[in-house]
Amino acid sequence: MPDLSIRNLSVHTGDGRTILRVPALTLPAGGSLGIRGPSGAGKSTLLHAIAGLTAAEGEVRWGETDIARLGEAERDAFRLEHMGLIFQDFLLFEELSALANAALPACFLPRQQRPAVRKRARALLERFGVPPQRRGVATFSGGERQRVAVARALSTDPHVILADEPTASLDRDNADRLVSELTALARAGGRTLIAVSHDPAVIAAMDRVVDLVDGELRG
Amino acid sequence: MATLSGLWFNLSALQQDALILTALLAPVFLLAGLLLRGIEVEGLTRALLWRYRWTNTLFAALMALSVGLGIAVIAQERALRHGAARAADKFDVIVTAPGDKVQALLSVVYLQPSNLPLLSGDVLARLQADTRIDLVAPIAFGDSFDGAPIIGTTAAFVSHLAGGMLAQGRMFATTGEAVAGASVPLPIGTHFAPLHGFLGIGRHTGHSAAGEAPHVHTGSGLEIVGRLPPTGSPWDRALLVPIEAVWLTHSLGGGHSEPAAHALAWSGASQVGAGNPKIGPPFDTDHFPGSPAFVLHSTSLAANYNAQRRYNDARSMAFFPGAVLSELYSILGDVRETLSLMAILTKILVAVGILSGLVALSKLFARRFALLRAIGAPKRFVLAIVWTYAFWR
Repeated sequence: MPDLSIRNLSVHTGDGRTILRVPALTLPAGGSLGIRGPSGAGKSTLLHAIAGLTAAEGEVRWGETDIARLGEAERDAFRLEHMGLIFQDFLLFEELSALANAALPACFLPRQQRPAVRKRARALLERFGVPPQRRGVATFSGGERQRVAVARALSTDPHVILADEPTASLDRDNADRLVSELTALARAGGRTLIAVSHDPAVIAAMDRVVDLVDGELRG
Repeated sequence: MATLSGLWFNLSALQQDALILTALLAPVFLLAGLLLRGIEVEGLTRALLWRYRWTNTLFAALMALSVGLGIAVIAQERALRHGAARAADKFDVIVTAPGDKVQALLSVVYLQPSNLPLLSGDVLARLQADTRIDLVAPIAFGDSFDGAPIIGTTAAFVSHLAGGMLAQGRMFATTGEAVAGASVPLPIGTHFAPLHGFLGIGRHTGHSAAGEAPHVHTGSGLEIVGRLPPTGSPWDRALLVPIEAVWLTHSLGGGHSEPAAHALAWSGASQVGAGNPKIGPPFDTDHFPGSPAFVLHSTSLAANYNAQRRYNDARSMAFFPGAVLSELYSILGDVRETLSLMAILTKILVAVGILSGLVALSKLFARRFALLRAIGAPKRFVLAIVWTYAFWR
């Protein structure tokens, strides 16, 4: 599994102001990185730049692939194949069942990969204690919804997991349980985990921690 | 090319419509096929549709209503034109006293009550002497029964209207008999007494004196002996009688020189047909009570044109109903344009409705569409969700 390396990464606003500058950052395959910092420091921007969701200058390399240089369609395909994203507010489709949400990437993956994704999503939900066919996602507790979101992120068996404030909407018990499950799943699968968080419990569970202040990386 | 053209014209109207619809929809289905290739949107679209089912149903109903109204308005306008043209089919040339052609057309073909001046015996004399005309039929109005106008004419014209054969019964043979239009709800054998004028309309027709109140013609019994096949014209709801019956009913004589007819009319006989006065042409020009209109028919188009020219003079006005209808359509042209504009506006409103619905949908689901893109969904997937939702909605 390749390392993830960043070189001279910078993100600018429309008026040319630099909001993120990362001279160099390397994360070995299977490692975990916690990014902390005050609100507005650029934590989510860094995560989005790594995922190719934000236009950035510089290099975000995963093996031979420079994600920052890929075209839009290639970045979509790269994220779908190699990355799993977890968001603070879950972003689930309330109209779908737990399983349909967790297996959502199957809808746009190549046909032959769909059964495996659905099987994996079901297994993850069962492992998390969420009935796969249960509907009414809006009525799920925060912890249940975030577990469905984690199952969705892992259903494609990604090599890199990007988590943006994964515990921000959860109570302490649910947050601790989620961190424990997430890190266990990342380690078990040899996946690289990058988590942006204000939560000390999340940061403490990471192999390495960096601080981001005013768009500059420290630590 | 000729073979293809032949094949096309061999198809029924329904098959042609189906093919045209398929050709129009083919690009849509092709694009949809390309858009949906290799992705699964059904589950998500179905779930979204179900979640907003009441809103979607209302939206679809409103769109269907607006489209339906637009189509109905245009279809009604077309049907009106088609019906008007069809109703005038059997009236090759109409001769009336000089005046308003539209008014004359409305009275003779569409049986609208009006006071048309009477044509006198000298016009009749010219028409009857004209050997180039196959059929000369005087028309007289003025009475009604149970809402059905009673029209006096000749058996030959009724036969011409019927296309040569009545649907039921036989042709009237005396002044006491009538042939009912296809839509008159009276069975053969019904006896009736004409009512002068039209109850409820408030106007007198034909040669009735203006201001005269409607009243039943006592002693004027008529019997329905036959029924016309449907003609698709207002004549379907009329009762057709020998024109002599109308004249006798109004004590105007019988149009023939036989004294019996006069005597019967003026003596207040119990029935118009009593004594069997002569009916049908030729009429006696000296005893001709007058008629508001004549309908002329010739098998030759040229003869019809010639007749129209010959009888369009100071004493009479001859016209083709079709030509007057065309003038009428040109007067109504603005209405048609207004209707068309309304239909177009309706379609624009529907299109705006669909697009605004899509915009609202996009706003509503913006964050989740962004999520789909973030987890690797191609733009095509999001586009397919929006459009399939809009399509099924």
